[in-house]
Amino acid sequence: MTLKIRADLGQLNRIREYVTERATELGIPSAVFDDLRLAVDEAVTNVLVHGYGGAGDLEIELRGHGPDLHIFLRDRAPPFDPVGNAPRDLVPPGDRESPGGFGIFLMQSAMDEILHRETRDGNELTLVKRGVLSTPASSHTPSSSGNHGN
Amino acid sequence: MSEKLQIGISREEGEKAVSIMRLKGSVDANTQGTLEAKAKEAIDAGSQRLILDMSGVDYLGSAGMRAIHAISRMLSPDEQGMRSPYIKVVSPSPAAAKVFKTLGFDSFIDIHDSIDDALAAF
Repeated sequence: MTLKIRADLGQLNRIREYVTERATELGIPSAVFDDLRLAVDEAVTNVLVHGYGGAGDLEIELRGHGPDLHIFLRDRAPPFDPVGNAPRDLVPPGDRESPGGFGIFLMQSAMDEILHRETRDGNELTLVKRGVLSTPASSHTPSSSGNHGN
Repeated sequence: MSEKLQIGISREEGEKAVSIMRLKGSVDANTQGTLEAKAKEAIDAGSQRLILDMSGVDYLGSAGMRAIHAISRMLSPDEQGMRSPYIKVVSPSPAAAKVFKTLGFDSFIDIHDSIDDALAAF
Protein backbone atom coordinates (compact mmCIF):
# COMPACT_ATOMS: atom_id res chain seq x y z
CA MET A 1 0.00 0.00 0.00
CA THR A 2 1.40 3.35 -1.03
CA LEU A 3 0.27 6.72 0.27
CA LYS A 4 -0.17 9.11 -2.65
CA ILE A 5 -0.84 12.59 -1.46
CA ARG A 6 -0.82 16.20 -2.55
CA ALA A 7 1.12 17.38 0.46
CA ASP A 8 1.94 20.58 2.25
CA LEU A 9 3.31 21.07 5.75
CA GLY A 10 -0.21 20.77 7.14
CA GLN A 11 -0.16 17.09 6.12
CA LEU A 12 2.88 16.17 8.24
CA ASN A 13 0.76 14.81 11.06
CA ARG A 14 -1.23 12.64 8.65
CA ILE A 15 1.99 11.36 7.06
CA ARG A 16 3.46 10.42 10.46
CA GLU A 17 0.22 8.60 11.28
CA TYR A 18 0.48 6.69 8.01
CA VAL A 19 4.02 5.60 8.90
CA THR A 20 2.78 4.30 12.25
CA GLU A 21 -0.17 2.46 10.67
CA ARG A 22 1.91 0.82 7.96
CA ALA A 23 4.77 -0.11 10.33
CA THR A 24 2.19 -1.75 12.60
CA GLU A 25 0.80 -3.72 9.65
CA LEU A 26 4.28 -4.93 8.80
CA GLY A 27 4.83 -6.15 12.37
CA ILE A 28 7.69 -3.79 13.12
CA PRO A 29 8.40 -3.40 16.86
CA SER A 30 6.81 -0.25 18.25
CA ALA A 31 10.13 0.77 19.80
CA VAL A 32 11.27 1.63 16.27
CA PHE A 33 8.27 3.80 15.37
CA ASP A 34 9.74 7.05 16.72
CA ASP A 35 12.81 6.68 14.50
CA LEU A 36 10.66 5.97 11.43
CA ARG A 37 8.32 8.91 12.05
CA LEU A 38 11.26 11.23 12.64
CA ALA A 39 13.11 10.21 9.48
CA VAL A 40 10.03 10.43 7.26
CA ASP A 41 8.93 13.76 8.74
CA GLU A 42 12.37 15.25 8.15
CA ALA A 43 12.60 13.85 4.62
CA VAL A 44 9.13 15.06 3.66
CA THR A 45 9.73 18.48 5.19
CA ASN A 46 12.94 18.76 3.20
CA VAL A 47 11.17 17.94 -0.06
CA LEU A 48 8.25 20.29 0.61
CA VAL A 49 10.37 23.24 1.73
CA HIS A 50 13.42 22.91 -0.50
CA GLY A 51 12.12 20.82 -3.41
CA TYR A 52 8.64 22.18 -3.98
CA GLY A 53 8.87 25.46 -2.10
CA GLY A 54 5.60 24.66 -0.35
CA ALA A 55 3.40 21.88 -1.69
CA GLY A 56 3.58 19.04 -4.18
CA ASP A 57 2.83 15.42 -5.02
CA LEU A 58 4.38 12.74 -2.82
CA GLU A 59 4.34 8.97 -2.69
CA ILE A 60 5.36 7.18 0.49
CA GLU A 61 5.75 3.42 0.60
CA LEU A 62 6.93 1.15 3.43
CA ARG A 63 8.05 -2.26 2.23
CA GLY A 64 9.81 -5.19 3.84
CA HIS A 65 13.00 -6.40 2.18
CA GLY A 66 14.01 -9.56 4.02
CA PRO A 67 14.61 -8.47 7.63
CA ASP A 68 14.99 -4.85 6.59
CA LEU A 69 12.47 -2.05 6.14
CA HIS A 70 12.72 0.17 3.11
CA ILE A 71 10.78 3.43 3.10
CA PHE A 72 10.46 5.00 -0.35
CA LEU A 73 9.71 8.70 -0.71
CA ARG A 74 9.02 9.76 -4.27
CA ASP A 75 8.47 13.31 -5.48
CA ARG A 76 8.27 15.35 -8.68
CA ALA A 77 10.53 18.13 -7.45
CA PRO A 78 13.75 19.20 -9.20
CA PRO A 79 16.54 16.67 -8.67
CA PHE A 80 18.23 17.10 -5.30
CA ASP A 81 20.25 14.71 -3.15
CA PRO A 82 19.80 15.80 0.49
CA VAL A 83 22.38 13.33 1.74
CA GLY A 84 25.08 14.19 -0.80
CA ASN A 85 24.54 17.87 -0.12
CA ALA A 86 24.34 17.56 3.66
CA PRO A 87 26.75 19.52 5.86
CA ARG A 88 29.69 17.35 6.84
CA ASP A 89 29.30 18.29 10.49
CA LEU A 90 26.41 19.32 12.63
CA VAL A 91 26.70 22.95 13.68
CA PRO A 92 25.93 22.76 17.40
CA PRO A 93 23.35 25.07 18.93
CA GLY A 94 25.67 27.01 21.22
CA ASP A 95 28.29 27.87 18.64
CA ARG A 96 26.77 30.00 15.94
CA GLU A 97 23.92 32.39 15.36
CA SER A 98 22.41 30.08 12.76
CA PRO A 99 23.08 26.43 13.52
CA GLY A 100 22.20 24.04 10.77
CA GLY A 101 22.04 20.55 9.42
CA PHE A 102 19.55 19.43 12.06
CA GLY A 103 17.09 17.68 9.76
CA ILE A 104 19.50 15.57 7.76
CA PHE A 105 21.48 14.77 10.90
CA LEU A 106 18.32 13.44 12.59
CA MET A 107 17.41 11.42 9.48
CA GLN A 108 20.84 9.83 9.40
CA SER A 109 20.81 9.10 13.12
CA ALA A 110 17.36 7.48 12.92
CA MET A 111 18.06 5.23 9.90
CA ASP A 112 20.84 2.85 8.89
CA GLU A 113 21.14 3.98 5.30
CA ILE A 114 19.70 6.72 3.07
CA LEU A 115 19.88 6.42 -0.69
CA HIS A 116 18.92 8.97 -3.33
CA ARG A 117 18.31 8.49 -7.01
CA GLU A 118 16.92 10.71 -9.69
CA THR A 119 13.83 9.38 -11.42
CA ARG A 120 12.24 10.36 -14.70
CA ASP A 121 9.84 12.62 -12.79
CA GLY A 122 11.90 13.77 -9.83
CA ASN A 123 13.53 12.03 -6.90
CA GLU A 124 13.31 8.80 -4.95
CA LEU A 125 14.74 8.69 -1.46
CA THR A 126 15.09 5.28 0.19
CA LEU A 127 15.33 5.19 3.98
CA VAL A 128 16.61 1.84 5.24
CA LYS A 129 16.18 0.43 8.74
CA ARG A 130 17.91 -2.91 9.13
CA GLY A 131 16.79 -5.95 11.10
CA VAL A 132 13.37 -4.72 12.18
CA LEU A 133 11.31 -7.46 10.50
CA SER A 134 11.38 -10.81 12.23
CA THR A 135 10.22 -12.77 9.19
CA PRO A 136 10.93 -12.16 5.53
CA ALA A 137 8.20 -9.86 4.29
CA SER A 138 6.59 -9.89 0.91
CA SER A 139 6.23 -6.72 -1.07
CA HIS A 140 2.54 -7.58 -1.36
CA THR A 141 0.10 -7.23 1.50
CA PRO A 142 -2.07 -10.33 2.02
CA SER A 143 -5.33 -8.44 1.53
CA SER A 144 -6.46 -5.08 0.30
CA SER A 145 -7.06 -3.97 3.87
CA GLY A 146 -3.70 -5.18 5.16
CA ASN A 147 -5.63 -6.20 8.27
CA HIS A 148 -3.10 -7.88 10.51
CA GLY A 149 -2.11 -5.18 12.96
CA ASN A 150 -1.95 -5.81 16.69
CA MET B 1 -2.64 12.34 18.03
CA SER B 2 -3.04 16.12 17.93
CA GLU B 3 -3.42 17.96 14.66
CA LYS B 4 -2.24 21.34 15.86
CA LEU B 5 0.05 22.74 18.47
CA GLN B 6 -1.81 24.31 21.36
CA ILE B 7 0.06 26.56 23.75
CA GLY B 8 -1.16 27.73 27.14
CA ILE B 9 0.84 30.45 28.85
CA SER B 10 0.98 31.44 32.50
CA ARG B 11 3.36 33.81 34.21
CA GLU B 12 5.21 33.61 37.51
CA GLU B 13 6.07 37.04 38.90
CA GLY B 14 9.19 36.96 40.98
CA GLU B 15 12.55 38.66 40.92
CA LYS B 16 12.45 38.05 37.17
CA ALA B 17 9.22 37.29 35.29
CA VAL B 18 9.04 33.71 34.05
CA SER B 19 6.53 32.59 31.43
CA ILE B 20 5.53 28.95 31.49
CA MET B 21 4.46 27.70 28.07
CA ARG B 22 2.53 24.44 28.16
CA LEU B 23 2.75 22.80 24.75
CA LYS B 24 0.23 20.24 23.54
CA GLY B 25 0.48 18.56 20.15
CA SER B 26 3.21 18.31 17.55
CA VAL B 27 6.17 20.64 17.11
CA ASP B 28 7.09 20.24 13.45
CA ALA B 29 7.70 22.46 10.43
CA ASN B 30 3.98 23.25 10.33
CA THR B 31 3.82 24.53 13.91
CA GLN B 32 7.33 25.93 14.38
CA GLY B 33 6.11 29.46 13.62
CA THR B 34 3.32 29.20 16.19
CA LEU B 35 5.80 28.34 18.93
CA GLU B 36 8.16 31.16 17.98
CA ALA B 37 5.31 33.69 17.75
CA LYS B 38 3.86 32.77 21.16
CA ALA B 39 7.29 32.97 22.75
CA LYS B 40 7.88 36.37 21.18
CA GLU B 41 4.54 37.59 22.59
CA ALA B 42 5.60 36.51 26.08
CA ILE B 43 9.03 38.10 25.75
CA ASP B 44 7.59 41.33 24.34
CA ALA B 45 5.22 41.40 27.33
CA GLY B 46 8.20 41.46 29.67
CA SER B 47 9.13 37.86 30.38
CA GLN B 48 12.87 37.47 30.64
CA ARG B 49 12.80 33.73 31.24
CA LEU B 50 10.80 30.91 29.67
CA ILE B 51 9.90 27.39 30.66
CA LEU B 52 8.70 25.07 27.91
CA ASP B 53 6.55 22.32 29.42
CA MET B 54 6.79 19.57 26.80
CA SER B 55 4.87 16.88 28.69
CA GLY B 56 2.02 17.20 26.15
CA VAL B 57 4.21 17.11 23.03
CA ASP B 58 3.66 13.99 20.95
CA TYR B 59 6.20 14.82 18.23
CA LEU B 60 9.34 16.96 18.14
CA GLY B 61 11.51 17.30 15.05
CA SER B 62 14.30 19.52 13.82
CA ALA B 63 11.88 22.41 13.15
CA GLY B 64 11.00 22.43 16.83
CA MET B 65 14.67 22.56 17.74
CA ARG B 66 15.19 25.49 15.37
CA ALA B 67 12.29 27.23 17.13
CA ILE B 68 13.82 26.59 20.56
CA HIS B 69 17.15 27.91 19.33
CA ALA B 70 15.46 31.02 17.93
CA ILE B 71 13.65 31.60 21.23
CA SER B 72 16.89 31.30 23.19
CA ARG B 73 18.37 33.95 20.90
CA MET B 74 15.36 36.23 21.52
CA LEU B 75 16.05 35.95 25.25
CA SER B 76 19.78 36.54 24.99
CA PRO B 77 20.52 38.09 21.61
CA ASP B 78 24.04 39.21 22.49
CA GLU B 79 25.30 36.09 24.18
CA GLN B 80 27.19 33.30 22.49
CA GLY B 81 27.61 30.53 24.97
CA MET B 82 27.38 26.83 25.49
CA ARG B 83 24.41 27.04 27.85
CA SER B 84 21.34 29.25 27.67
CA PRO B 85 20.44 30.47 31.20
CA TYR B 86 17.06 31.92 30.28
CA ILE B 87 15.13 28.97 28.87
CA LYS B 88 14.40 25.60 30.44
CA VAL B 89 12.58 22.53 29.16
CA VAL B 90 10.34 20.29 31.26
CA SER B 91 9.34 16.66 30.75
CA PRO B 92 10.04 15.90 27.10
CA SER B 93 8.97 12.42 25.97
CA PRO B 94 11.76 9.85 25.54
CA ALA B 95 11.63 10.45 21.77
CA ALA B 96 11.86 14.23 22.21
CA ALA B 97 14.66 13.86 24.75
CA LYS B 98 16.54 11.74 22.21
CA VAL B 99 16.23 14.56 19.66
CA PHE B 100 17.65 17.01 22.20
CA LYS B 101 20.58 14.68 22.87
CA THR B 102 21.23 13.79 19.23
CA LEU B 103 21.51 17.45 18.26
CA GLY B 104 23.55 18.43 21.31
CA PHE B 105 20.83 20.60 22.83
CA ASP B 106 21.06 18.73 26.14
CA SER B 107 24.33 20.55 26.76
CA PHE B 108 22.80 23.87 25.67
CA ILE B 109 19.47 23.90 27.53
CA ASP B 110 18.62 22.46 30.96
CA ILE B 111 15.98 19.74 31.01
CA HIS B 112 13.97 19.23 34.20
CA ASP B 113 11.42 16.71 35.45
CA SER B 114 8.96 19.29 36.78
CA ILE B 115 8.01 22.94 36.43
CA ASP B 116 8.88 23.51 40.10
CA ASP B 117 12.38 22.15 39.52
CA ALA B 118 12.80 24.37 36.47
CA LEU B 119 11.59 27.46 38.36
CA ALA B 120 13.98 26.74 41.21
CA ALA B 121 16.87 26.41 38.76
CA PHE B 122 16.66 30.01 37.50
